[in-house]
Amino acid sequence: MSARRTLNPALAEFVAAGPWPQRTVMRALLALAGRPRALALLGLLDAGDQAIEGVVAMGRYDEPEVSRGLGWDAEAVVVRGRELRRLEDRP
Amino acid sequence: MSGGTLRADACVIGAGAGGAVVAAELAEGGANVVVLEQGPEHDPDGFTARPPQMLARLYRDGGQTVTLGLPPIGLPLGRGVGGTTLVNSGTCFRTPGHVLERWRREFGLELDEDSLGPCFQRVERALSVAEVTRELAGRNAAVIRRGAERLGWSHGYLKRNARGCVGSGVCAFGCPTSAKQHAGITYVPRARAAGANVLTGADARRVLVRGRRAEGVQAAVADGRELQVLAPIVVIAAGTIHTPILLARNGLGGASGQLGRNLSLHPATAAVARMEEVVDMARGVPQSLYVDEFAREGLMFETIAGPPAYAAMSLPLTGRRHAEAMTAYRQLAQLGLMVSDSGRGHIRLGRRPLIRYDLGSAETEKFRAGIVRLDQLLRAAGAREVYLPLPPAVAPERARPRDLRLMAFHPLGTARADARPAHGVVDGDLAVHGIAGLHIADGSVVPSALGVNPQLTIMALATRLAFHLLGAGCPS
Repeated sequence: MSARRTLNPALAEFVAAGPWPQRTVMRALLALAGRPRALALLGLLDAGDQAIEGVVAMGRYDEPEVSRGLGWDAEAVVVRGRELRRLEDRP
Repeated sequence: MSGGTLRADACVIGAGAGGAVVAAELAEGGANVVVLEQGPEHDPDGFTARPPQMLARLYRDGGQTVTLGLPPIGLPLGRGVGGTTLVNSGTCFRTPGHVLERWRREFGLELDEDSLGPCFQRVERALSVAEVTRELAGRNAAVIRRGAERLGWSHGYLKRNARGCVGSGVCAFGCPTSAKQHAGITYVPRARAAGANVLTGADARRVLVRGRRAEGVQAAVADGRELQVLAPIVVIAAGTIHTPILLARNGLGGASGQLGRNLSLHPATAAVARMEEVVDMARGVPQSLYVDEFAREGLMFETIAGPPAYAAMSLPLTGRRHAEAMTAYRQLAQLGLMVSDSGRGHIRLGRRPLIRYDLGSAETEKFRAGIVRLDQLLRAAGAREVYLPLPPAVAPERARPRDLRLMAFHPLGTARADARPAHGVVDGDLAVHGIAGLHIADGSVVPSALGVNPQLTIMALATRLAFHLLGAGCPS
């Protein structure tokens, strides 16, 4: 799974919001995860591997076309929310 | 807000579960109140129902706060008006009676179900607390309910602070319908309507004290300008992690040696099951059903769920197996396990909090037992496959702390209440021992784990404090 392919703007925003130690480590690991050999090496570090795979996977399945294929449409949820708030004068 | 000086009857630091409640009740009681909230006010029009963005925008440090210790544990905290109530699942439990009894016995706190009852009722009315219906709970809850019924385990639908909920499935990522009645849309508007001045982006730096009496607060506001709020009553409600930092920075509350200590968490994990049926876990209320069969042993099970990005992050698999399981996302069900701890952590009191927390042997044993129960329940519900939060070769009974994939919620206890000044930071009325006019109203005063979600406890204690400061009892 290529980090360059999966680091969508939403995931980039997530990484940027982290405190600096995690942010720096995360960016380094995401860069490594984009290279097949480094990814294999990363697999030797169980915790690091799981953490980075979790973050990459969150980014991948957050992509609208991927999540829609699994029955989840974030945009539709947002539109319905906005409509309800307008109709019922919610905050 | 530019710099300068404001005068008020009370200055409240923080607009979350504790601060918003104190501010509203004081203001409605006729007090002139200023609230200093470090974070922003979030506009629901900006809620995208996309987990990475919402973690980045609604959570402190993008939801990436991690404890130091074995194992490292993620500790998500909300930031902004509403605090963590903006991003929690909305679950409402009153403080269990056996916990109040323990507080009286061990900490000398004169609190019981009768005396706190009116405060709980008042909060529950303000938040529209009601039990989740079966229809709204969704199919994830139906799966878990089926498993509990087949095993004969005690369970029920949770009570939540929601009104007009349509089961958007993203409570933790900003409710897009504003159905969740968090502090930012309940108590904060009430405070404003009663005349309170709620300032966002206001970072409280100094608590002004003269002759062992609080006199106000100094804060950094927009453009780094300085604001002084002069008030004879100061209520700190910056949350369990940050309240002890503020106190320590000001040399306050440290006499007992308990400041920053006794950090209690609810460490938690979850198992995922692949069912035969379509579950669509994110359709319905994510946290809607509890299983309390083993609550007395410190194990509480609650449903959790979310959209694919959330499930992908929490699925305890890697590589090809992860991808295969995600292909079947619509058939995935999930159940969380929350463990009561014994308050072993502490906050290192520096410029930024360092949270030290090691899982004890008692808690590890609870996780071993709890993961066995997770497996048992999901299989009883008809799971085709169960994904436990452990490395593939590790059996639950042999799990070590380093094997566990944990998150933690509900930090409590770092400025604990104890009637005796030598043992606690605040007294039973939440007044800082030895400093007149200085009070605390957040999870930091709660002296032990509750075994249940704490927002109602924090809000009831804040209500009690507000009426105490007004010189009145909480109306029943």
